Amino acid sequence: MEKILDKKRLDDWAAALTNYEVQAPSQEDGIWGFQPVNGPVRLDHTNTKQPPKEFAFPQREVFFTFEQIKGEAPRLTQVLPQAPRHAVFGVRPCDGRGVPRMDKVFNDHVEDTYYNTRRKNVAYVGLACNKPPSANCFCLSVGGSPVSTDGLDVLMTDLGDRYFVAAVTDAGKALMAEAAKVFSEPSATDQKQVKQAHAAAVAHPQRAVNNPDQAPAKLKASFKSPLWDELARACIGCGICTFLCPTCHCFDINDEVHGKAPLKGQRVRTWDNCQFPDFTMHSSGHNPREGTGARLRQRVGHKFQYFYENFGMHQCVGCGRCITECPVGIDIINVVNKVAENAA
Amino acid sequence: MINLKDVRDAARDMLAKGEVRAVIGYRRGSRGMFAEPAFLDRPEEADELVWDPTCFHNLSLYLVHDRKHLAHAGKKSGAPVAIVAKGCDARSIVVLLQEHYFGRDDVYIIGVSCEGTGVVDERKLARHLNGAQASNAAFDGDDFVFTTAQGEKRLPAREVMADRCLECRNPFPKEHNLVYGEDKTGRQLEAPFAALDRFEAQGAGERWENWARHFDRCIRCFACRSVCPMCYCDECVVDSITFPISTETTADEKANRIRWIERSAARSENITYLMTRAMHLAGRCTDCGECDRACPVNVPIRLLNTKMEKEARDQFGFEPGASIGGPSLVASFLDKDPGEFIR
Amino acid sequence: MSEQQPYEPKIVAFLCKWCSSAGSDLAGVSRIQYPANATPITVPCTGAVSPMYILSAFNKGADGVLVSGCHIGDCHYLEGNYLARRKMYLIMKLLDFIGVEHDRFRMSWVSAAEGAKFAQVVTDFVNDLQPLGPQDKLKRAESK
Repeated sequence: MEKILDKKRLDDWAAALTNYEVQAPSQEDGIWGFQPVNGPVRLDHTNTKQPPKEFAFPQREVFFTFEQIKGEAPRLTQVLPQAPRHAVFGVRPCDGRGVPRMDKVFNDHVEDTYYNTRRKNVAYVGLACNKPPSANCFCLSVGGSPVSTDGLDVLMTDLGDRYFVAAVTDAGKALMAEAAKVFSEPSATDQKQVKQAHAAAVAHPQRAVNNPDQAPAKLKASFKSPLWDELARACIGCGICTFLCPTCHCFDINDEVHGKAPLKGQRVRTWDNCQFPDFTMHSSGHNPREGTGARLRQRVGHKFQYFYENFGMHQCVGCGRCITECPVGIDIINVVNKVAENAA
Repeated sequence: MINLKDVRDAARDMLAKGEVRAVIGYRRGSRGMFAEPAFLDRPEEADELVWDPTCFHNLSLYLVHDRKHLAHAGKKSGAPVAIVAKGCDARSIVVLLQEHYFGRDDVYIIGVSCEGTGVVDERKLARHLNGAQASNAAFDGDDFVFTTAQGEKRLPAREVMADRCLECRNPFPKEHNLVYGEDKTGRQLEAPFAALDRFEAQGAGERWENWARHFDRCIRCFACRSVCPMCYCDECVVDSITFPISTETTADEKANRIRWIERSAARSENITYLMTRAMHLAGRCTDCGECDRACPVNVPIRLLNTKMEKEARDQFGFEPGASIGGPSLVASFLDKDPGEFIR
Repeated sequence: MSEQQPYEPKIVAFLCKWCSSAGSDLAGVSRIQYPANATPITVPCTGAVSPMYILSAFNKGADGVLVSGCHIGDCHYLEGNYLARRKMYLIMKLLDFIGVEHDRFRMSWVSAAEGAKFAQVVTDFVNDLQPLGPQDKLKRAESK
């Protein structure tokens, strides 16, 4: 399904989605983030600071609550997410490509009920990048594209005074069907213009990982490379790169105790982070990933080697957030290129 | 005006003579015009050094890293490490010396004066460049000059300087072995604590509304802690490794260990973390602004620290990083300390 | 708690064992009537009260936090209360800065002989806390 949407009617589309909680990028304290729509939808963002992964994989998820009266057996009550149906507007194609990668992780050996319950209630409405939103975009070199539909339910392309709106999935068609009246049929000119816009988007120069197909083998051969320590020398060990990553999915599970008599609390899943010193800390005090070099290798290896070995694709989608946001200039493109260049 | 060649020559010379183990400075990164921390071990690397308005990092953090590495490897320090330090960075080094984190002979301070300007604030700059990418940044008197694809762009430094630089009382690194650039002490462009005073002019209700929003946004990536040279504790109250475990530790004890702060990035936990950190930095924070800069979600962490700094100055006459032999704020007292608040 | 009952603020009171803790005992044995809202935690000295304890008490649901120790000059360890005076001043200002009501944190000097003063401090604190209602700014939510 391909339609034209006059920019003035974008709000009418959003307003027609009464069965959804509509989310769109908005700016608060200088930070672009997805927020429930409350007023006009503005798709003039570059990219959001955080990817839309929180809709399926929130930073904190309650698994169950527990309560134990002294001398009695503990009582557990499962808490399944009560997430509304979300329609998320303004998703960039790189972040869209993060979605199927997360789907694989949470459905490979075990089907994660919590993730899936949320996931099936989210529709991602993408916005093609007519020009790269960031100087550190590199989607093209990791198999993506600024107009990729992978993981998205709808892809919108800005054509000046109107959007070219293409449904990608049935969920996307359903979203468009909710407000059939706001759309019009695309003319031959529209079709031509969208093709031109997409061609121009893809032609925009971007930074690049060199020979990405060879990266898994090169990284595998470089496990013991001294370069890891060298490249991670400035690393401060914070969690920005992974917490802002559209495909990082590691988590920790903790019991949060709210009362001791009777004992009650919640078992919660929270995001965890391979860059933190305690991520791999053993209870003996031994830490197999002692230094920042080993942790950088883990992050980069996961994106460009281990995930590739498991699922046949790079886990990195090239959004560039970890590069832009790193306080000390650690640059995953540079790291992969340097390590690959020096691989045996 | 600092002549970069002088800095490079000095670094090369020190490394060649073996007077220092390494030089920590700035070099051009792979990310556009921005500088990144550089670690020079060999004299021939000295030409990598740069000094420009994007040298915003407080490198004294890496002196802390160095000590930790030495301790872990069970090595003695040997020759000192040289470090390029701005006024605020040099004050952090003074605090580290004051706390005996290392000795004065373990560090060789190559001071660089911020002279009439300071360093850029990436976020302010991005607003001014409006999407354009700059490939180079340079100091020029009271201006910063950026090279973009559309040509040279000159901006008055005060428009794109970090808040802390606008308020800086001491752009000249007083504690140094070598120093470059003019001493422009007293050149501050805004009154000390100007940003804090603007925030404090609000009522308690508004302050809470603002902080609640900021605390909610925190994602607990701990960049503020990781980037801070004063956050050198081996164990931090927020980490799960703070509970010593031996073979004797029972499962019950593990389950009942004290957790001051839960891992959930919930408002209450974020507040406890950030407030504890602010208290721990009281009298130690030299307002290098790194926590503010590193925060990916713009939590104005600096305000918490400058609040403590201002109280310390007004009530206790205390200036962090002023002298190596000086007392610590919370391990000292005066008879005349305020006590009217106590019933 | 049913809605008809008056709101009773929960106070966590860090009391120095050498003075205020004994002062609270004296208030008890002297049969002085005062509100039972304060949960005492005896500490060896107010100088040992980390600001973190105060934040943690609020985090775990205290409506008010009291720190009470020896009068200046009377510290068993000579200067613990001087150090506490500085630290508590700073945490008080920080709480105030983020917009926590000023009356939720209080400090007092109560000697072992001042049972009546202890009762008065707690009574005043409860009276000042009552109009503020429950403290929910720093309190850990059970589910969110």
